[in-house]
Amino acid sequence: MYLFAVAAAGVVTIIAVVLIVLALVVYLVSIILQLRRITAGLAEVMGGVGEIVRKSTPVNGVVKTINEQLDAGVDLLEGLLVKKAGLEDAVGLVDGLYPGSASAGFRRFPESRTTKPPRVGEVYTRGTLTLARLGREAPIAAASPVGPALRDAAYGSAAAAKLYPEPRQARPQSLPRSPVVGTGAPIQYGPSPPDTISWGRGAAEPPAAVPEPQASTPEAEAAAPDAPKTISWKRS
Amino acid sequence: MILWWLGDLILLLVVLPIVVYLLAGVQRAAKSIPDKVDGISKVAAAGSRDLNAVPMLLTTQDQVIKTVAGVANYGGSLDIILDDA
Repeated sequence: MYLFAVAAAGVVTIIAVVLIVLALVVYLVSIILQLRRITAGLAEVMGGVGEIVRKSTPVNGVVKTINEQLDAGVDLLEGLLVKKAGLEDAVGLVDGLYPGSASAGFRRFPESRTTKPPRVGEVYTRGTLTLARLGREAPIAAASPVGPALRDAAYGSAAAAKLYPEPRQARPQSLPRSPVVGTGAPIQYGPSPPDTISWGRGAAEPPAAVPEPQASTPEAEAAAPDAPKTISWKRS
Repeated sequence: MILWWLGDLILLLVVLPIVVYLLAGVQRAAKSIPDKVDGISKVAAAGSRDLNAVPMLLTTQDQVIKTVAGVANYGGSLDIILDDA
């Protein structure tokens, strides 16, 4: 009976150990298979990562060069703008074109951050601002304290039209100029006769004939060719 | 004799379940890794494809250098043409 009990206990022990070993084998084999899949996947990942590293190697230097070039360009343009327009107007111009950017200021001009920008953007359009900052070539800059405008302000519109030529040529190339009036006009008109003016309601009668202007005589023109022509009203 | 039987019971009712539980956990974790590795592999491949345009940066670099040189030339001309403030 004792031997039977010992044999039974030994069999149970053997069965338990076998079960434990079986569990270890099954699970460990499964884990090994999974680890092999992981190894193969990681090898593939390493290939992709290596390709990324190889492709991105020159990026740093190229981007650094591009940034250096762009920095130089920005410094150049900022310096030119400040030199030509002055710091205050330059800040106002930039703030007019890009509202709110005046607080950032210019990189090479730290004092520009504290400069109060003039409100040029509220008065003039962008195109006018651009022309104005092109060195006093716009009519609004004719009264610049550093001197007169470079462009003839009297014909400013014609000069501006040259900047934007019409490809369709919608109008004649050269139109006759408008007549010049005033004391410097080539033809001078004299004062009207005082008794031919009242044509309104209650007037007695309109004049029988409107007096024709009489041009100056050819002899007088030959005597003084540069003198302005005088046309006087002659009573009929 | 009683201790032997007690050891058998502990072996069957305690050790074996613990071993199975632990191994199942390790197996579950191991099985979840390959899917993530596959995802990483796809992302790496996509990232590598995205970097195919990197050589174009050399062209961009040349264009930027030429553009800035042109701007410098224009700036020099403007500096001569226009009066200072």
